Amino acid sequence: MRSIQNRPALAVIVALAALVFGGASLSGVTTLATAPSAAAATPAGAGQTYTIATDTTFAPFEFRDSSGELTGIDIDIMESIAEDQGFEVEWQSLGFNAALQAVQSGQADGVIAGMGITDERREIFDFSEPYFTGTLTLAVNEGDEGEITGFESLEGKTLAVKTGSLSEEEAKANQEEFGFELLPLDQTTTMVESVKSGNADALMDDYPIIAYGVEQGSGLVTVGEQIPTGDYGFAVNKGDNAELLAMFDAGLAELQASGEYDEIVNRYLGGEGEDDGVDRSTFWGLLVTSFPALMSGLGNTLLVTAISFALAMVLGLLFGFMKITRNPVLRGIAVTFISIFRGTPILVWAFFFYFGLPQLIGTNVNIWVAGVLTLTLNGAAYIAEIVRGAVQSVDPGQMEASRSLGLGYGKSMQRVVLPQAFKMMTPSLINQLVIMLKDSSLLLAIGFAELLYQAQQIYAANFRVTEVLLIVAVIYFVAITLLTQLANYVDRKVNK
Amino acid sequence: MTQTTPPPADPPAADSTGTRILVELENVNKHFGSFQALTDINLTIPERQVAIVLGPSGSGKSTLCRTINRLETIDPGGTIRIDGKPLPDEGKALARLRADVGMVFQSFNLFAHKSILENVTLGPIKVKGVKKAQAEKDAMGLLERVGVAQQARKMPAQLSGGQQQRVAIARALAMKPKVLLFDEPTSALDPEMVQEVLDVMVQLAREGMTMVVVTHEMGFARKAGDRVLFMDEGKVLEDTDPESFFTRPQHPRAKDFLGKILTH
Ligand SMILES: Nc1ncnc2c1ncn2[C@@H]1O[C@H](COP(=O)(O)OP(=O)(O)O)[C@@H](O)[C@H]1O
Ligand SMILES: [Mg+2]
Repeated sequence: MRSIQNRPALAVIVALAALVFGGASLSGVTTLATAPSAAAATPAGAGQTYTIATDTTFAPFEFRDSSGELTGIDIDIMESIAEDQGFEVEWQSLGFNAALQAVQSGQADGVIAGMGITDERREIFDFSEPYFTGTLTLAVNEGDEGEITGFESLEGKTLAVKTGSLSEEEAKANQEEFGFELLPLDQTTTMVESVKSGNADALMDDYPIIAYGVEQGSGLVTVGEQIPTGDYGFAVNKGDNAELLAMFDAGLAELQASGEYDEIVNRYLGGEGEDDGVDRSTFWGLLVTSFPALMSGLGNTLLVTAISFALAMVLGLLFGFMKITRNPVLRGIAVTFISIFRGTPILVWAFFFYFGLPQLIGTNVNIWVAGVLTLTLNGAAYIAEIVRGAVQSVDPGQMEASRSLGLGYGKSMQRVVLPQAFKMMTPSLINQLVIMLKDSSLLLAIGFAELLYQAQQIYAANFRVTEVLLIVAVIYFVAITLLTQLANYVDRKVNK
Repeated sequence: MTQTTPPPADPPAADSTGTRILVELENVNKHFGSFQALTDINLTIPERQVAIVLGPSGSGKSTLCRTINRLETIDPGGTIRIDGKPLPDEGKALARLRADVGMVFQSFNLFAHKSILENVTLGPIKVKGVKKAQAEKDAMGLLERVGVAQQARKMPAQLSGGQQQRVAIARALAMKPKVLLFDEPTSALDPEMVQEVLDVMVQLAREGMTMVVVTHEMGFARKAGDRVLFMDEGKVLEDTDPESFFTRPQHPRAKDFLGKILTH
């Protein structure tokens, strides 16, 4: 559960699909304003816009649907309350820890993020009435539900639990009595995979997460009694935004009374599914529902690769030439640049530009800037070597013949040496382009919404790792094949 | 001879007989690191002269040619003048003066990515600013002269060595140089192609072109040469007319050298 488990804060990464296809804000803030309704009684704060912070992906409470829209139980509840109470919501999808910090620092007015109400947190936040009660559940492979019905049928079997979480505590408390083995793992995804592959016989984790996965075709079923763990609440900074808290409580009561609350929860956990006629548990259903998000990921992958490659060509040419000049200073700069970026992993630079650099310069670095810088500098180092090699492999007699005609060094390079060098280097450049496209998937580590990142988001919610990865592999393969064909075609046109 | 030279802007250098001096080397030395490739070269080549440069391998013949159009720099203290003007340092002036000195290389060095015609027009268009149509017309005339006009649209790799070398000569001529340097123009050719290239060179010599030719072709030296420079270990050891050199070499090294090339 959220009060204990330590989830990585996937900072600020959002709306990138929207950025590519429409140009939403660059800051990673998604705006999903709800229209104010004509509420009967107008509470204090009505008509105002509140900034509400939340996590990036914590299905089914908050996650992105197949079209990249922020959705989930938290989101729907908050928006229904806002509509009921007549205020507007501006979402900040930040990651769990960042969301809490945003409220503490006053950048956001409130936080709703599957957040457990604890005494510790009450010191810092004011909580609403609980809007959801967290529970733990056991889950097993479909078909095993007859055999395993609870702790009592786990004797001699292996139970996967989440390291350091309530599920581990709960399991340990029952281990002696029922005699099963524990397999503590870091992530729900891994736990689900362990059960599916037979490395564990059952798992124990938060009910909503597992139930949503079941809904999405994870291949598991929940069994046994649910074990209550604590209540989830909406929170504001202690002493601030009392009217917002009041509106939340009032609105929540309305929703529960009108039955809309149950409707929302059932939408995600009740086995009703999204009402679009697609059966998500089949491969085809998975393909159809995940395709829009994967395509937006592919769009980002292609765009970041294209921008980075173009810039890397410019820089690579520059450094390639610097490396063969007679000027020792320029040569030194080029040699240093090339050896630094060839000699260090891409991930290091992605982290540096996105997380390290902002601390040095005191301002946020946009994720596109960080991603493009990372791929560009790495690619430029390799392209510089390709350029140097190609230029040096052109017979020096070509340069001499050109200069003896009276063409200067620059003109000779431009008219005689470079055209021949380009012809030689195109296969290597195409190769570099393909490598760069594949390397762009490393940017998922900083939360850049490229293809593989989108895939992770999808299987983090539905646990269908193998199928999603298979789809992604095919998309990469097709994209790279087409790109290579295109590059070869251009090569034939230009270097005939 | 019918060739007319436009009146030069600067008063031309001339020797005591009043002939214009086109190439002049004064105290030219050249070191590669600690190795001395040229030692105290003093040399004047008047207009219309065909100077044959002979000598064993490594004696500095190529280096001599390359210093004259400054593909190699020379040691400080020496001077090279082309038509009275000292070779400038790098830059526009050097590029312009270089265009006055044509060079034909042992390995042709045709631009591999350009057609035969483009090889010949590149210099006039890019250096002299000649219009493309005019440059192509001139180029076709030159290709006609060296006998490869039929191949104008082909790429260099499609031509035989002899044809390529004749194109290289046409390319050099397209810049209307005052002097042409040939560095062993026939050594890379199959024997049956040597003559077609030499014929073109003989023709040029007859037309009054000033030429410095590094070659071991005795026939050509006798037929077209006005002067023989025999080099060894970076020095010019003999400087005489071809007939005297081939029949009465003075220096023991020259005798030794002639003995070797005449017997093989
Ligand atoms: N770029 C260079 N660096 C070092 N030594 C060179 C270079 N070019 C020529 N040499 C040396 O200078 C000498 C003369 O060379 P070269 O003029 O090519 O002789 P030739 O053309 O008479 O055979 C040779 O010993 C050669 O090794
Ligand atoms: Mg030589």
